[in-house]
Amino acid sequence: MAKVLEGPGMGLMKKWGIHVPNYVVVTSADELAKLGQANDWMKNSKLVAKAHEALGSRFKLGLVKVGLDLAGAVAATKEMIGRQVGSITVSQVIVSEMIPHKEEYYCAVKSTREGSEILVANCGGIEVESNWDRVKRLCLEVGQAPTHEALEKLSKDAGFTGALSKKMADFAGKMFTCFDTEDAQYLEVNPVVIREHDGELVALDAVTLLDGDAKFRHPDWNFQFAAEFGRAYSKDEMEVMAVDSKIKGSVKFIEIPGGDTAMLPAGGGASVYYSDAVVARGGKLANYAEYSGDPPDWAVEVLTEKVCSLPGIKNIIVGGAIANFTDVKKTFGGIINGFRKAKGDGKMKNVKIWVRRGGPREKEGLDAMRALKDEGFDIHVFDRNTPLTDIVDKALHK
Amino acid sequence: MSILANKDTRVVIQGGAAGVNAARRMAEFCYLIKRPLNVEAFVYPPDAGKTNEIPYGSGLMAIPIYKTIAEATKNHSTINTSLVYIGADRAMKGAMEALDDSHIKVVSMITEGVPEKDAKLLGAHARKLGKVFNGPSSIGIISAGACRLGVIGGAFDNLVLSKLYREGSFGVITKSGGLSNEIIWICSQFADGITTAIGIGGDAYPGTDYVSYLEMFENDPQTKAVVIVGEMGGDLEERAAEWYGAKKRRVKLIGVVSGFCQESLPKGMKFGHAGAKEGMKGEGSARSKSDALKKAGAIVPPTFGALGPAIKDAYQELLKSGQIKEIIEPVSLPKLPKTVEEAIKADEVMVAPLIRTTISDDRGDEPCYDGYPASELINKGYEIPHVIGLLWDKRLISKQEAEIIKRIMMLSADHGPCVSGAYATILAACAGIGLSQAVAAGLIMIGPRFGGAVTDAGRWFKYAVDNKMNVDEFLAYMKKNVGPVPGIGHRVKSLRNPDKRVKELVGYVKSLHIKTPCLDFALQVEQVTAAKKDNLILNVDGTMAAVLVDLGFPVDSLNGFFILSRTIGLIGHWVDQKRQDSRLIRLFDYLVNYAAPKRREVPPLK
Repeated sequence: MAKVLEGPGMGLMKKWGIHVPNYVVVTSADELAKLGQANDWMKNSKLVAKAHEALGSRFKLGLVKVGLDLAGAVAATKEMIGRQVGSITVSQVIVSEMIPHKEEYYCAVKSTREGSEILVANCGGIEVESNWDRVKRLCLEVGQAPTHEALEKLSKDAGFTGALSKKMADFAGKMFTCFDTEDAQYLEVNPVVIREHDGELVALDAVTLLDGDAKFRHPDWNFQFAAEFGRAYSKDEMEVMAVDSKIKGSVKFIEIPGGDTAMLPAGGGASVYYSDAVVARGGKLANYAEYSGDPPDWAVEVLTEKVCSLPGIKNIIVGGAIANFTDVKKTFGGIINGFRKAKGDGKMKNVKIWVRRGGPREKEGLDAMRALKDEGFDIHVFDRNTPLTDIVDKALHK
Repeated sequence: MSILANKDTRVVIQGGAAGVNAARRMAEFCYLIKRPLNVEAFVYPPDAGKTNEIPYGSGLMAIPIYKTIAEATKNHSTINTSLVYIGADRAMKGAMEALDDSHIKVVSMITEGVPEKDAKLLGAHARKLGKVFNGPSSIGIISAGACRLGVIGGAFDNLVLSKLYREGSFGVITKSGGLSNEIIWICSQFADGITTAIGIGGDAYPGTDYVSYLEMFENDPQTKAVVIVGEMGGDLEERAAEWYGAKKRRVKLIGVVSGFCQESLPKGMKFGHAGAKEGMKGEGSARSKSDALKKAGAIVPPTFGALGPAIKDAYQELLKSGQIKEIIEPVSLPKLPKTVEEAIKADEVMVAPLIRTTISDDRGDEPCYDGYPASELINKGYEIPHVIGLLWDKRLISKQEAEIIKRIMMLSADHGPCVSGAYATILAACAGIGLSQAVAAGLIMIGPRFGGAVTDAGRWFKYAVDNKMNVDEFLAYMKKNVGPVPGIGHRVKSLRNPDKRVKELVGYVKSLHIKTPCLDFALQVEQVTAAKKDNLILNVDGTMAAVLVDLGFPVDSLNGFFILSRTIGLIGHWVDQKRQDSRLIRLFDYLVNYAAPKRREVPPLK
């Protein structure tokens, strides 16, 4: 799953014939001012300026300004760029044409187990959430495209009539085409509005989630994917992602500020059970991390350094199930190097390490971990005979 | 009994290196359970027509590689299962090919990172054909005592520890590859082990769901209970709960779901598996899944740690009710033969080495030259001549000696395009020959007439000095027993047109005031020979030879100095020609004296 910001999301919709307002994404007020000279629509219509970042509740934060003229938009851009919200610095602003409208509608396409589902409602904006029963659905099997008749029925079921019903059916059809051809997992336009001057349906906003795994067949996806949790990726997270993209196997790392229990578990499945165990024990997670698929030891070393750098940690959980083919000795070698570096940088003071693992070369790997005791690490090593998450219980035992 | 994979399962593996690795793991399992290898063929177009060698016990099986599934099943009509190890961008095409083959009933995809749409299309296609498409991102399927598909079960030791050599009573379905081994291990420690364990893959929409497998387990009388290991995201667990609660089931259902931590983590957090994502409006959470399973009558331990005891309770209950009996373990099991490396490590065998080396060793983290780590040499200021000293004469030469060698190398690195070595390299380069061959062609020219007189010159000067000969004695000896003195004489240089390189080298060595008996002798020889004929001067080969003998280098290594330094020049000439995109050389007729007979009539064949 890969989230796409509004600008590129709108770009994809436009590619499939969906009307979107004129818009530009800029990184400075000067750039906007220059574009304003070249584009008539920026001079002739009212404008909306929004911070173009993966941020929740932008409106509340004052990062959405409406009804501006060009000078106002330039001023708003100047004010927004560089603003710090939590860990995010606003670096882009999307400025779009304001579309005067009376009615608001809703249209979305989402992935389902069987294929997909087209959702249409005769209301839009915040009204949708409180009137979820007004959303009508058309289920489609994978490989199947909706017929005109089915789309029109959907539109009529949702309460659209006459010419508008046809237009909404047409709009939903284009949304489906965009969804299907672009390997999307979720597309949502809320609101869809009627543009007063020509009566066309226009997408005023776009939520776009694409299937990152399908990137290989979309050479035109030249945009960056955004974090999905309402903040930008940190520098350390980006560095681990860069390593991840280069290697066989995988390393993953997400920071959770304020935690004191750091995670360095193996395996996409086990890592979540470890996280659960920490939370169940009343611990506070400092991160989510995971390595799997027999990654090279240097990649695990990078991950380890990032985990050891988390502020305020008291315990590091090096957990893992019994690996199928991940070489325990080799990957632990990366972790040990990471620990040594972190210790050399004065980072491991008062940090306890808890290890549990099995798999190829488990004995050698666990022995190497045990030997760290002699180097002054506060380390506790367990083998497959200790149940998976028991080290969390031991670590958090008060 | 078992489901999906059994004693009759015959496999084709689609893919390259990862598929070969899987076949090796599968062969280990076949060996453990004393069954023939169940991999019949590979499909991997780049290697079609060749075979992959798969170790089985102490032997090697040659398994053929085909271009297409159709070719594989035509030649091996018993194939009924395909394992897909092809890269994500081509995986769907490969799996479709397998599904469309009438011989194949089960396709299991190991590939990770397959687009969701592709996985859905494959799942739908398989259902339409009444086949099973398992995966993507599946770790494999294993039926204890019967069949292993993929690397599930881990290393050989783990197969034994987890008692996978014989059937137990518990079915296992997991989304996670790593956890599959953990659950199999738990089932073997807290109960009597497994029937079949299936990795269905951690993607959002795997090709098959828990329900299809639960139905199969329900119909397998040997399976008495099924353990499912779920996680947040999707609705597979809810559907399993729905199935279980729908009517009285023969099998017990034990389930754990991960993802409770999500309740106290930032919204939208992404976990290890593609499928482990937040559900819309509370669906798909660990809690809703757990609750649904509990409500349907499944055993749901509160934490992963409580899973073992829960399995133990279920097992005890089944024992008590007489549904299962305790299993008596076999007395002995086949042991995987050790590799020679392992046996040596365990001090079990002694192998007479084939070759012996005394100069270098790269078995550690870096090469050591005569015992000195390369990086340490670099960091302590040593240079290439020191490496030569270590590898050619097994000694750490002095700074002064290194400086002399460096000068020798620089002076003889290249002497223009007209000398035999460079000319041969250029000729080869122009003919389109590659770097190493063209340089080798040049190096082959080094011999008694070109550049290869260093060793011989050194040998005879040393002979004279060692035997305390005077110049006359030496020249007489050479004339009688050897021939012209190696290292003396030049084709173009002479007394009137002296060789600056020789002057430079002699001057430098002399300026150091070190003992140079050979060089001194060679210079005396030159005085006599040059007086006879003015081009009978001491040449570069002779000078190098005398100096290097004086430094103590072994006579047999001396030509090496010329070969090594001249290689620099030869590479330069090859690159130079390549850069100019030089065309094929053909000698001009006027450069050849056609001394062959004039054209004449061919006589009739007798």
